[in-house]
Amino acid sequence: MSPPEPFRVLVVDDETIVRESLGGWFREDGCRVDTASSGKEALRLAAEGRHDLALLDIKMPGMDGLELQARLAEVAPELTIIVMTAYASVETAVRALKQGAYDYIVKPFDPDELSMLVRRAQEHRSLRTENRRLKENLEAAAAPPPMIGDSPAMRHVMELVKSVAPTEATVLVQGASGTGKELVARALHAASPRRWNPLVTVHCGALAEGLLESELFGHEKGAFTGAAYHHKGKFEQADGGTIFLDEIGEVSPKVQVELLRVLEEKTVTRVGGKEPVPADFRVVAATNRDLAALAREGKFREDLFWRLNVVPITIPSLAERPGDVVQLANHFLARFARQMNIRELSFTEEAIAALEAHSWPGNVRELQNAIERAVVLGKPPLIRAEDLPLAVSSSPRPGGRTLADVEKAHIASVLAETGWNITHAATVCAVDRGTLYHKIERHGLAKPAHAR
Amino acid sequence: MRDERIDELRFVAIGPVPDALLRDVVVRVSRALDLPCRIVPADGDVRPAPMDGRAQVDADRLLAEVERRATTPGAVLVALAAADMGNPIFTHFFGRARLGGRAAVVSLARLSPAFYGLAADAGVSARRAALEVLHEFGHLAGLGHCADPACLMRLAHNVEAIDVRGTGFCDACASRLPRDLQTRRTALDRGRS
Repeated sequence: MSPPEPFRVLVVDDETIVRESLGGWFREDGCRVDTASSGKEALRLAAEGRHDLALLDIKMPGMDGLELQARLAEVAPELTIIVMTAYASVETAVRALKQGAYDYIVKPFDPDELSMLVRRAQEHRSLRTENRRLKENLEAAAAPPPMIGDSPAMRHVMELVKSVAPTEATVLVQGASGTGKELVARALHAASPRRWNPLVTVHCGALAEGLLESELFGHEKGAFTGAAYHHKGKFEQADGGTIFLDEIGEVSPKVQVELLRVLEEKTVTRVGGKEPVPADFRVVAATNRDLAALAREGKFREDLFWRLNVVPITIPSLAERPGDVVQLANHFLARFARQMNIRELSFTEEAIAALEAHSWPGNVRELQNAIERAVVLGKPPLIRAEDLPLAVSSSPRPGGRTLADVEKAHIASVLAETGWNITHAATVCAVDRGTLYHKIERHGLAKPAHAR
Repeated sequence: MRDERIDELRFVAIGPVPDALLRDVVVRVSRALDLPCRIVPADGDVRPAPMDGRAQVDADRLLAEVERRATTPGAVLVALAAADMGNPIFTHFFGRARLGGRAAVVSLARLSPAFYGLAADAGVSARRAALEVLHEFGHLAGLGHCADPACLMRLAHNVEAIDVRGTGFCDACASRLPRDLQTRRTALDRGRS
């Protein structure tokens, strides 16, 4: 660990003895000291060096201490300022404090008082620095999660998120399992004015009806057996923020009715309670089911569907945006490499070909898991096709279910995995090279440009 | 670090310093440093400059006067002043010395319990004065202030801080002392513990 940086002090006084005496005193105390005899010189020094503390004399010819204080606030806004005065003038001290000075001190200084004042200023300074750092971390943590992809479908999703996030509109996110519905919900929340308040997620499909009611709306003490204490529901917990209702299509008709009422009235009545509690929340719901069809079939309340479907966002499956696969894969590779402290990691051309050839029925989640496993089990600095767990989950691309379709997709997949190494691919498919050539020709398969 | 050897400390009283107190301080310092210490006659020419409107003498001017008289090679001159010391910027000082200098001044006024309305205690005054002399001696030997609470070179702005800080140099400060002084590991209370 490097030693702490010395405290940097700027002493500004037109009297030489003050500059020398105070400067010497601070130096003896281990501080790094600059001195200035005028406001002009002080401004120059403050602009050049990053001082922690400035002691300014109030009475100086030309620019006085108060004017200098105001100018320093522009040049070095982080600077902690202590004003020095020869007489305890309340008026001047109040002006200095109103202008943002940390404190004032009267000449001559009691070394004990000055020492305590400087120590307090140091603490004040480090608290401010820590506060700023925490704020920056918080900003970074609350920043919208990155949405990866250049495909037109994905760009459309990003545009929608960007335009709808700052509003209060309810959003219904639809997409197959693993496409990133929760990511979209987080992006909506993070880019909204509610981002400093909670984002509360409820996995509606994971809970039985009674439990879901209690989770969503809370319950009063004694509402049911085991309800020993009153409990705030997710809507109340999301007060000021966003509630993300995942798997909304799985909610029972009874809870659908209650949800509709809560969404319309913006109040929540706890299970076993009588008084409705106001709650300020924004709703983002998600489903992997066709909610409109469910509504048409009478399996989902139509009024609730319309209440949720204010802004629908449909996330394309990964198979619908094959051009994004490599970009996503590189994104996950960089992330896992960082997490596992691996400096250099990249895909071989065969691995890229295998990633592109795979149909990704499990969508982005499957891709993410595949990359994580490859990073864990692979040998840096290269991730090879055989490090990717694609054979197990591989399934033919959509396009037909005839034997010929299946054969074509399988051969394409093996060729991608083997980087179009015909001998290797023929061995995997348990046919001779001639048969494989014949089949490649018959199915019209072409070697991609990046394959060896 | 100081270039010139320190072989001796000479003490001079400035103003009405009781003889017994002066001798007590000298004995304590001599034991602590294991260096020859002796009292030299008060120099009548050293007249501390009083400060306007303050019942104090100017510490910086007093130090400058004492430094002018510290001309004996190998010896440093320590002035024990009866008067309270300050300067135009600071309300008071217990002691003043330049880093690697040849002279130091220590004011006895604020080291006495009587200054704070308590009963005078010559033993307490002598102990505090000896600690201040040793602290200033550290500066003369080239040491700056130290953050170690147990080190004699820790800055003390009040008598409570003088009383509670250590009475010897910490290892880091001791290692920075001139080689001939390193073997004389200062400890005011040597032999007591």
